[in-house]
Amino acid sequence: MIDLPSRLTAIQGVRLRLKGAPSRSRSRVRKDGPLGEVWLTSIVRRTGRRASQTLGVAGLLLALLALIPPFTRSSAGAPASHYTISGRLEDPQRRRVAGANVTALSPGSSVVLAEAESQDDGSWVLVLEQDPLPGTVIQATRHHFDTFELTLDSNQAEALRSSGALDLGVIPLVRRITPAFWAAAIIFIAVLVVIALERLHSTTAALAGMSAVFLVTFIGGIFNPDLYIFNFRRAKTYINWEVIFLVMGMMIIIAIIEGTGIFQWTAFQAYRASRGRAWLLGLILMGVTGLASALLDNFTTMLLMTPISLQIALAIGINPLAFIIPEVLASNIAGISTLIGTPTNILIGAFADISFSDFLVNQTAGVLLAMIVAGGFVLYFYRREWSKQSGGISSRLYERMKENARLEDPKALWKSACVFVLVLVGFVMGERIHIVPAVPALVGATVLLVWLNPDVQKMIKAVDWTTLVFFIAIFIVIGAVQEVGLVSLIAGAASRLIGDNLVLGIFAILFGVGTLSVAIANIPLTASMLPIVEYLSGSVPGANSKVLYYALSMGAAMGGNGFLIGGEANIVTAGISEQAGTPISFGEFLKIGLPVTYLTMTVGFLWLLVRFVLLAH
Amino acid sequence: MPGVLCPTRGGEASYPNQDRAIQIARERGSEILFLYVTDVRFLGRIASPMIVDVEEEINEMGEFLLAMAGERADKVGVVSRSLVLRGAFQDALVEAIHGNDVNVVVLGSPGGETGITTTDYLHQLIAMMVDELAVEVYVVDRGEVLEHFGPRGIEPA
Repeated sequence: MIDLPSRLTAIQGVRLRLKGAPSRSRSRVRKDGPLGEVWLTSIVRRTGRRASQTLGVAGLLLALLALIPPFTRSSAGAPASHYTISGRLEDPQRRRVAGANVTALSPGSSVVLAEAESQDDGSWVLVLEQDPLPGTVIQATRHHFDTFELTLDSNQAEALRSSGALDLGVIPLVRRITPAFWAAAIIFIAVLVVIALERLHSTTAALAGMSAVFLVTFIGGIFNPDLYIFNFRRAKTYINWEVIFLVMGMMIIIAIIEGTGIFQWTAFQAYRASRGRAWLLGLILMGVTGLASALLDNFTTMLLMTPISLQIALAIGINPLAFIIPEVLASNIAGISTLIGTPTNILIGAFADISFSDFLVNQTAGVLLAMIVAGGFVLYFYRREWSKQSGGISSRLYERMKENARLEDPKALWKSACVFVLVLVGFVMGERIHIVPAVPALVGATVLLVWLNPDVQKMIKAVDWTTLVFFIAIFIVIGAVQEVGLVSLIAGAASRLIGDNLVLGIFAILFGVGTLSVAIANIPLTASMLPIVEYLSGSVPGANSKVLYYALSMGAAMGGNGFLIGGEANIVTAGISEQAGTPISFGEFLKIGLPVTYLTMTVGFLWLLVRFVLLAH
Repeated sequence: MPGVLCPTRGGEASYPNQDRAIQIARERGSEILFLYVTDVRFLGRIASPMIVDVEEEINEMGEFLLAMAGERADKVGVVSRSLVLRGAFQDALVEAIHGNDVNVVVLGSPGGETGITTTDYLHQLIAMMVDELAVEVYVVDRGEVLEHFGPRGIEPA
């Protein structure tokens, strides 16, 4: 039969392990004595009343009373019956280290006195059930780190014995470069290269990378334990489910909205409003594309805007590229003004806890300025095409274009617009009551499904599972390089480069990522950069305003305008354009895309300086 | 009435080839069938959410572009029809020839801006059409006939 103090200690141990918060845990340890006393006193009182009625209950009371003395002694300042040692593990970049095995070993032998696992915040608590002796060894072991050992000296042992608790503070673990490090790094780079070269579908590439990570861990690990990267349970912790659910909810909403034909109708109205003035039509199309990209997503916007824009341009005798290239530039720039405008913003928002309103307040003005500058450049670049006054088109073509641009279901449009506005309100209001954006998105999607009653099969098909699987797989691949320390290594190097200079940090992130995303797909690039930016946000003075995340958002999206292959909106636009016999050559895109990229990045940089450096002072 | 088939993507660069096909149809007193093939294989390597029926959007665009080509035929009094098919170009071409009583095909040259693929592929395609489907094939570039293949072999342009 277990005695009562042991039972209380066991319960306390469970609590400590679940919560993993040392400060709270220590306070609980101190309170356990009095609390236990009150609890027992309460039982004694209640049981006492019954004891007066039955002898059997009196016997139980006596038995319980017999348990009280040792517990009371403990709370009366005598040596405690259990002792807690706590601490917090960090890596060289001061990132918390979870999942480490921490043990207390008896002096001179390897008998395990207590054992615990470090929690998500790196904290751990050991509960010793016997008197601590000098020479007790505290050992922390974890894959990809050197084993840490600390031997308690006589002062520490005495302090622990007298107060019942000892906090060892932050314990830095030293990274170890193992074969797993190189394996994970090679897999990660291979995935990026395969995606960049389009050797495989990006989802297939990410899945192959994820499988390779597990194969190295579980098969390679059999032959060489140093090939262990992480187990499946640990791998799952790197998947950001908020991103998955937000993307899923928004996919359903967008699928319903796009089915109403609003994009095509708007483009056709732009044509009518321009009355044949190409420059006006071009600017309106840029504006419409930008707005739609900010509220829905830039890729879908271009999927829908490109065909109708091609039709309009060919019908009125204007070079279609003079419309669709500015549109794609606008979609890449304006998409980043909101949380839901690009998958990269969704990633950044979920990772760094940046809300819908935060993006609006901190980024939208900069994006608008960048759009104005891009519009000015495009106006200059296409001045010959845009100065044309188009000829009229035949009534037959006009009617067909009108037919292609009709509103499919005005009632559904009205309903979905109402729900969409409510979802946006949900994003803003939700922040105040700690509701993540995925919730309004999923609720909005469900309301639309119930209200409009569309074909559910079709709507479920509208959810692009390929993309969601891509996200899951790439999260795990990136998790692998985080686990083995590659990201920390890069973060450390970046930190040494940037030092304490916030302006340099903003510049390096924005232009560095922008230049990289000219050639590398921006979703994996952004996901890889997030832990680095997190570290820099903690180490560079003033960066806790999350300005570096905004720089990352701007760089990843604006850089996509540099090359034809820089963004998926560009690729799909080029593909559709080629289908209309109007291929976009690499060089032709480069001539306008690259200047716009660096112009808009400069505007974005200046905006972030004003918003976060000048105004912050 | 046997007709002339003109596969086209409908862009500005293909106008001269369309005009040449219309001229051939006019000279033969045939009607012309414009074919647009929707091929969305380029979407295969995209990671972004693809929640739009892109094929349907491109189909509608194809119909519009063929309507533009039809207007060009109407202007010179040639009766035209249009056909939008999905999938691989060669399969669509065979389907169009089989189902529409076609005896002449006018193809854009790969060297031209509207060419569909490589010269090797084009010649393989032509050989198949001439030998198996017994149609005449014109290869045109910027409105000029480069090659003319009849059922009995190559003839000078």
